Amino acid sequence: MSLKTMGHVILPVLAVAAFLAPFSLLQAAPQPPQHFERRFAVKGRPVVILQNVANGRIEVKSSKNSEVVVAATQASNKIGIVAEQAEERVDVTATILDSTAPAAELEANFQLTVPEETELQLKTQTGLVYVEQVMGDMTLQSVAGDIHLKEVSGYIVVRTTGGSLVCTQCAGKLNFSSISGNAQVLQPGLSNVTLFTMSGNILFDGDFIRTGIYSMKSGKGTVEVHFSGSDSFDLNAQTAMGTVDNQAEAYLKPDSHGVRHMASRFTKGLFGTVGSGLAKVELSSYSGTIRILKRD
Amino acid sequence: MQCKEVAVVLEQEGCLPVPEAARAHLAGCNSCRNFIADLTAIIATAHLLPAEVEPPPRVWTSLRVQLEEEGIIRSGARQSWWASFSEFFRPRVMATAAVALLIVAVVALQLQRPATQPTEALNTSDNLYQDTSLTLDNDEARLPAMQLAGNSGVDVSLRQNLDIVDKFIVDCEQRVKQHPQDDLAREYLTGAYQDKAELISVMMEREGSGR
Repeated sequence: MSLKTMGHVILPVLAVAAFLAPFSLLQAAPQPPQHFERRFAVKGRPVVILQNVANGRIEVKSSKNSEVVVAATQASNKIGIVAEQAEERVDVTATILDSTAPAAELEANFQLTVPEETELQLKTQTGLVYVEQVMGDMTLQSVAGDIHLKEVSGYIVVRTTGGSLVCTQCAGKLNFSSISGNAQVLQPGLSNVTLFTMSGNILFDGDFIRTGIYSMKSGKGTVEVHFSGSDSFDLNAQTAMGTVDNQAEAYLKPDSHGVRHMASRFTKGLFGTVGSGLAKVELSSYSGTIRILKRD
Repeated sequence: MQCKEVAVVLEQEGCLPVPEAARAHLAGCNSCRNFIADLTAIIATAHLLPAEVEPPPRVWTSLRVQLEEEGIIRSGARQSWWASFSEFFRPRVMATAAVALLIVAVVALQLQRPATQPTEALNTSDNLYQDTSLTLDNDEARLPAMQLAGNSGVDVSLRQNLDIVDKFIVDCEQRVKQHPQDDLAREYLTGAYQDKAELISVMMEREGSGR
């Protein structure tokens, strides 16, 4: 075969290969992220429900506008996002369309913009849930994702398996429950607090409202409370196998309400009153440390 | 398969583990997944209740009156026993009955407490703890292989947390065994059983939805 003949045979093959090469590269390359956005006009106080069966972050911020904006970025078309409205209810669901897809393709990140007064029900698997400046009752659930709340108020219910909670300048009522997540409540204006974690740590740093009721329990972690000198509360701290580290002895007086508390034979306890004992604070840990200290 | 048919399958085969026939439907039905999660939680809670408690007749009377008022049961024997039985397994009725049962048990426990010797009460609750522990261990053993081998962050997190709960339960059980009158340890142990039941329920739900 002459060189000329060989060229006649090889050149078309090379040309076809050169033509197809970009397509094969495209197929192997990851799909570009897809964007989703819907706007829903609302009148009063909407209820926004978001269930993210896929993984990903959820961010909620408020605006003065009477509308709910749902924006999402999904890693692939293997996730389906549906958003619908029924008057004041906006329902958003992200579902997995191909459960055999790799985890990296099963991610959807949401950004919600809602009116300041909005009720929220958010559920995700992993990824941060961040809510800022929203007033309204909210239920937030996550398996492994952390939950950060800033300047929110209402009846706040948080459930995680391993995710931690950071609640900064929250008001209203807070109920947190987790297996291994930590809880940090900072500068709160909360009148009712229930925190439970089996192995995580709890930190409450802020004022106790005078009629408030506060219950903080950790199975194996540390429960730490920082109070201010102007606070007024009755304290009941108990641990079965842990320790109570009282760094505020100067501020704790015997209970002033006539009830004589005694720790059981099997627990270590600390009872006392700060100020007039108006709020009620119950701290408990099975085997962790309970630490009480006054802020500077 | 429709939601009604899922209820029938659950009635016939139970919900632990989720019957094969219902799994495909559960993958796309939030309502049924929630229903199964509720049932699992009710069953786990029921295991924490003492089976021997006999509530006083007046509790039954008031419960019966309440159920009749809500139209859940009728005073006459117009329905066949099978129709009444099927009616009982309607989800709403079952949930109501379960809650009513819990109330009856709690009331009965409260009434029974002063008359019971402390050691008897402790023995009863020890048996309850053992039963609950055994039931939960059996449920854990039935967790699908996929859930136990899954590599996703969620599966790994669920497994790690189940391990944490298991170790905490062992710790608390040991403490309660050594100091049966340690109420705080008992409180944490009961809570840990409930957490374990919920965790297993979530893991089974994930398996049911094919994730």
